[in-house]
Amino acid sequence: MSPMRRTDELDELLGAFALDAVDDEERRDVERYLATNARARAEVQDHREVATLLAFSGGAAPDGLWDRIVGSLDAIAPAPGPELAKVLPMAPARRRRGRVAAYAGGAVAAAAVVVLGVVAVQRGNELDDLRGEIASTTVQEGFGQAMADPASAKFVLQSPDGSVSAQAAVEPNGIGFLAAGDLAALPDDRTYQLWGISGDTVISLGVLGSRPEVLTFTVAGPLDALAITEEVAGGVPVSEQSPALVGQLT
Amino acid sequence: MTAGDPSRDRLRTEVVREEFADASDAAIVVAIARYRQEALAEAYRRHAGAVFGLARRLLADQTMAEEVVQEVFLRLWNDPGRFDPERGTLRSYLLAQTHGRSVDVLRSEGARRQREEREARQTAEGGYDLELEVWDMAAAAKVREALSELSLQERLAIELAYFGGFTYREVAERLGEPEGTVKSRIRSGLRRLRVELVAAGVTVGGAS
Repeated sequence: MSPMRRTDELDELLGAFALDAVDDEERRDVERYLATNARARAEVQDHREVATLLAFSGGAAPDGLWDRIVGSLDAIAPAPGPELAKVLPMAPARRRRGRVAAYAGGAVAAAAVVVLGVVAVQRGNELDDLRGEIASTTVQEGFGQAMADPASAKFVLQSPDGSVSAQAAVEPNGIGFLAAGDLAALPDDRTYQLWGISGDTVISLGVLGSRPEVLTFTVAGPLDALAITEEVAGGVPVSEQSPALVGQLT
Repeated sequence: MTAGDPSRDRLRTEVVREEFADASDAAIVVAIARYRQEALAEAYRRHAGAVFGLARRLLADQTMAEEVVQEVFLRLWNDPGRFDPERGTLRSYLLAQTHGRSVDVLRSEGARRQREEREARQTAEGGYDLELEVWDMAAAAKVREALSELSLQERLAIELAYFGGFTYREVAERLGEPEGTVKSRIRSGLRRLRVELVAAGVTVGGAS
């Protein structure tokens, strides 16, 4: 924040900021101010909601635009689709579980398909804007609480050489928290991806982005281990990569 | 029915539409995070018209507006975690993204000049009414009434900033007013608009 910009000056900028009517330096100053001031955040949100009403136009989007968007989705993530978040069939999973499950090793054959009902709550998290910063504060707090909860399932993930580690905790309600700030930043066309391993089943828990910090995920079933792989941006339905980190339930 | 059978596709579309028809913003975004294209389709069905309308109004260019719409929905798909349902509706989030991106485009070299040329041409042709285009919604009369409660200077400052894509400094220059005055008018005008809208029974904010 500019040392010359007082709180009252920042408050005066909130209306213009909400309408994207400030210059870059002012925008950065206001964003820093908002990160520490809930009242100011609420005011900006109020202004934006009013602007929403001004902006409304009842017209329809042009024909063909949705098809172009869908085409772009396919280009970005070749094979995610709705299936990514579902348990892979047992036989294909065994055939294609690849090196993730192999490294996790020791996973006993599943007695039955475990329906995890996984929700990837956060993908491609670029914590480079205000919403991300605010959300990360909340997630940080949640991570601390989950780690302190004796009922949570805890995982310590480590790289093969032990030089990089991450921690995860899954609360009894299925909400999981992963602290993976030690992972090296990847190029923008790469991403980390989180995997849950239950018996012989490996399932994607979500794409973590290229610079993960603390993230949330949700599961609806028990996990034996977690693993993180490096993948192409957008993630993959089945990984063939060796995990960057892996950890069993402690 | 066979694979690719149009009747089966229609049936599936109907089932999916029912699944998400009453879903909240938060539920839709969580489903998007689960790679449910149907959820993105529902978000698009609900909000693409407004997103496109705002982008087109700012940019006055169909092609550029379509590109912005595409960017906004792809961003929602790639990074749904940015939307926080506790901080506003999905529509306001998408429109804020749309406005920010459109302003970026507008402030890029030459884009504003081209827009002004297009606007001048369209105005001359008499087929482009910026004022009326915005008011196609159920609460339009109330919004218009609330706007009329603002001073002319407040209203001009807000419209130039929001629909013109100008910074408050540029607005001040255009209106021949001090920068601080314009800055204050934008803020006070937005506050007063909110009060008027709430008093008129228009829902401002709140997740759908």
